[in-house]
Amino acid sequence: MLSDWMLRLRALFRRAAVEDDIDAELRFHLDRQVQAHVARGLDHDEAMRRARLEFGGLDQIKEEYRDALGVRAIDRLRQDLRLSLRSLRATPTVTAVAVLSLALGIGANAAIFSIINSLLLRMLPVKDPARLVVLTDTPTRARSWNYRIWLEIHRRQHLFEDSAAWSFTRFDLSSGGQTQFVDGLWVSGSFFEALGVKAALGRTLAASDDQRSGGADGPVAVISDRLWREYFDGAADVVGRILRLDGANFTIVGVLPREFFGLEVGRTFDVAVPLADEPLSRGRSTYLDAVSTSFLTIIARLRPDQSVDTATTALRGAQREIRELTIGELGNFGAAAIERYLKEPFTLIPAANGFDGSADFRSRYERPLWTVMVVAGLVLLIACVNVANLLLARATARRHELSLRVALGETRGGLARQLLTESLLLSVTGTFAGLLVATWGSRFLVTQLSTSADTVFLDMSIDSRIVMFGVAVTVLTTLVFGTAPAVRASSVNPIDALKDQGRTAGHAHGRLSSGFVIAQVTLSFVLLVAAGLFVQTFREIATRPLGFQPEQVTIVTMDSGRTGIAAEARLPEFERARDAVRAVPGVAAAALSFITPFTGGFTPPLNISGVPDFEGRLSGNLVSGGWFTTFGTPVIAGRALGDRDVKGTPRVAVVNQAFASRFFPGTSPLGQTISLYPGGARALPPMTIVGVVGDVVYSSLRIPAAPTWYAPLSQFDVPEFPSVLFSLQLAVRSRTNSPVASRDVASAIGNVNPALALTFRPLSDSVDAARNQERLVAVLAGSFGIIGLLLAGLGLYGITAYAVAVRRSEIGIRIALGAVAGRMIQLVLVRVAILVATGTVAGIALSLWLSRFVASLLYGVQPHDTATLLGAFIVLASVGLVAGAIPARKAARTNPATVLRES
Amino acid sequence: MPPPRMELPQGTLDLLILKAVALQPQHGWAISERLHQISSASLQIRQGSLYPALHRLERRGWIKARWSTSENNRRAKYYELTRRGRAELETQTTAWHKLAATISQVLETA
Repeated sequence: MLSDWMLRLRALFRRAAVEDDIDAELRFHLDRQVQAHVARGLDHDEAMRRARLEFGGLDQIKEEYRDALGVRAIDRLRQDLRLSLRSLRATPTVTAVAVLSLALGIGANAAIFSIINSLLLRMLPVKDPARLVVLTDTPTRARSWNYRIWLEIHRRQHLFEDSAAWSFTRFDLSSGGQTQFVDGLWVSGSFFEALGVKAALGRTLAASDDQRSGGADGPVAVISDRLWREYFDGAADVVGRILRLDGANFTIVGVLPREFFGLEVGRTFDVAVPLADEPLSRGRSTYLDAVSTSFLTIIARLRPDQSVDTATTALRGAQREIRELTIGELGNFGAAAIERYLKEPFTLIPAANGFDGSADFRSRYERPLWTVMVVAGLVLLIACVNVANLLLARATARRHELSLRVALGETRGGLARQLLTESLLLSVTGTFAGLLVATWGSRFLVTQLSTSADTVFLDMSIDSRIVMFGVAVTVLTTLVFGTAPAVRASSVNPIDALKDQGRTAGHAHGRLSSGFVIAQVTLSFVLLVAAGLFVQTFREIATRPLGFQPEQVTIVTMDSGRTGIAAEARLPEFERARDAVRAVPGVAAAALSFITPFTGGFTPPLNISGVPDFEGRLSGNLVSGGWFTTFGTPVIAGRALGDRDVKGTPRVAVVNQAFASRFFPGTSPLGQTISLYPGGARALPPMTIVGVVGDVVYSSLRIPAAPTWYAPLSQFDVPEFPSVLFSLQLAVRSRTNSPVASRDVASAIGNVNPALALTFRPLSDSVDAARNQERLVAVLAGSFGIIGLLLAGLGLYGITAYAVAVRRSEIGIRIALGAVAGRMIQLVLVRVAILVATGTVAGIALSLWLSRFVASLLYGVQPHDTATLLGAFIVLASVGLVAGAIPARKAARTNPATVLRES
Repeated sequence: MPPPRMELPQGTLDLLILKAVALQPQHGWAISERLHQISSASLQIRQGSLYPALHRLERRGWIKARWSTSENNRRAKYYELTRRGRAELETQTTAWHKLAATISQVLETA
């Protein structure tokens, strides 16, 4: 309530004024009452006495008044804070260790949460994102559509308030030769208007820009805030300048606001141009005319009166009509396929949280991130337990002070409140330090997620959800670690103050602390098991045979989109470029291929002679001669594909081992044939299998290599193939350990055709990218495991050292009576062993239960892996031994004379 | 012979204060006088306890206070009803009447 807060704030900051007000008001009342009595004939003294009596105790009323004002609570809080600060300063080591533990724990959690927030939870930075839906025909995720479908949807304006389409692309800023890419979008003219995104400078794109015949202002582009600042140095006159994209000139008409990163979570863009200008980049192979090429994401904004259901119903009414216009080459596949296509229902799904980009960033990282979040939560729990134990020990050390305060009239509630205030101060400090750790940590993590081809962008700005998370973590940690010390401390007896100090540390404290340490051992056991499982998973993935040697191989993507070469002349041009590169000094081998491992797939339908019951698609690749040598893939039987396997010679193919063992177990596949596109309009004559090569991993490192076939590029004469073949991959293997200089390769290719656009990427980059998820989880789980272990070690050390200190006189007496040092060490270590053993048993149970949930993230290791459990136990036991040995040695060295003199 | 005095039932002081400032802004002393008068001195209210109550009401936003000059030219703190306070007064009055009616009904029939 506003008035309430205004009054409280005034009471807080204008304290003196408030007190004056109270005084003045009460005095006025008394004076008036005296006046009234005098007027009734009483003498002044009597009137005064009467007035006071009627009023009641002045001081008591004032107190009540202050209570009503809320001033009293503030007074007490202020006093508590002052006391807490003083007592925290009195024990700087304890305070520093506590704040540091909390900062690590809270920092880890906040870092992971801020990534989860921006990847999975945050709403899109557009107007009213709740009314956005995406068009799809699978129930769970977005898919892409062709240009005709988009035109038909957009034409039916009654269906939605507005609709928009876009496609992600990379624009080349260079003018031939080595490429300089920026991420870009082709967007429909309605895109920015439908999203309600306004330009920060100039204007956004409009429907009039998105015309196949060319917009009113010619080709135009809007650029991101970042490109404006970094590429144009924030020039004020950027609007109107020319930007060269894929060799065509675009006029910049506007700069977008900084917060608009696009609609795909995990990446951003720097340039957006109208969809109708796509042919300027793709030339004659434009997707706008290709009915069967899906490349657009289509979204719609619902009218305020529409629900997702009513909009879907309306859309399905128009579905058959829209689909009929876009059958395209599906006509070759028969009536049943067409009917299936026509009936496939359009579906709308809410899109308020944005989209998974084509990198599948969200779906790939959702599970790993939640897992890491749980792991980070365990670290924080361990940290909390550590701090609780520290405070408990400190509270015990402060028994004298606390009992004295009780003896002097402080209530137990007040004592507990003050200790909780101390805890709150600790966790607030810890949270702030943790947020520093988190800002740094989450930025670092995002750079770790990026690979050379995919720069990951996540909007990490602070939003209300992060703030709420921070507050919740602070309060929760305070309660978790502050409750036990507060309750314990408030149970002190005033009589303790009178007793001798120091000798009264009770057994109750020991029991509770031991409980805490067991909990710590349990939790850090779980963390160690998690770390072990994820590190082994990564090791399995990292050491899995790839079937090729990525080191020293560079993949050069050659793009002929800008050369203007006729479709049929492209492959010969690419082959000339390959020959030129083969002549570069230091090049051991070079070969062309349609796809490379971890970048795309190619699965046309086929059948195999001698395998009548197989009908379907198998992944394949089209390669030039020398490809297997360049990749370092062994030939197992027969021969590889060579430079002489060209158009006009007998059609040949090779298959991998997985192919051979699946379709020809026990016999040789050599001499059998493979027929591509059987029965269709594009059917190719059969190819004879002339060799078997080793398995190459093409897609996921987690699944066994799929049966794969290879055919010579130049023998793949499907009629429309040359027209889509505007780029090819050239693999270049170096003679030495360092890759061939891209400068030399680029100049060799430039001599053949300077207009070919080239992109260089080490093959090992793709491999690393494929291992990225496992690597990241392993690194995080590993580091959290180490932090957890350190904290648990610290806890063990703390309680053992404390126990030794408390039993100093007992130990001294025992030694004086003739106990040997070894026996003393044993005494202390047995205690540690009991704690570790109990914690381990609980840890085993907990990790057996928890590991089921991460089974899908593991590879090559079972969730209940015995070796991992054993390893975790050994690590923990060693840490326990070290943590126990230091105080134990100290105990053994106790000098009985000193102790006895003290008592 | 003065009329017998009654203790104020719990929570009714607020209602009486709201009623007392309903007509025009009043300072604390005037409110206590008014309560004394209109109850024909049959209600026993410790004058001091008026002030914490006034502040509770102010914090709830039912009355607001401002300093002004009193009838004898001294500065005094005046309280007046807010719009929310007026609504509250109506609700509480209705509730009170209903309660009183119900109780007396029970007492007469039982």
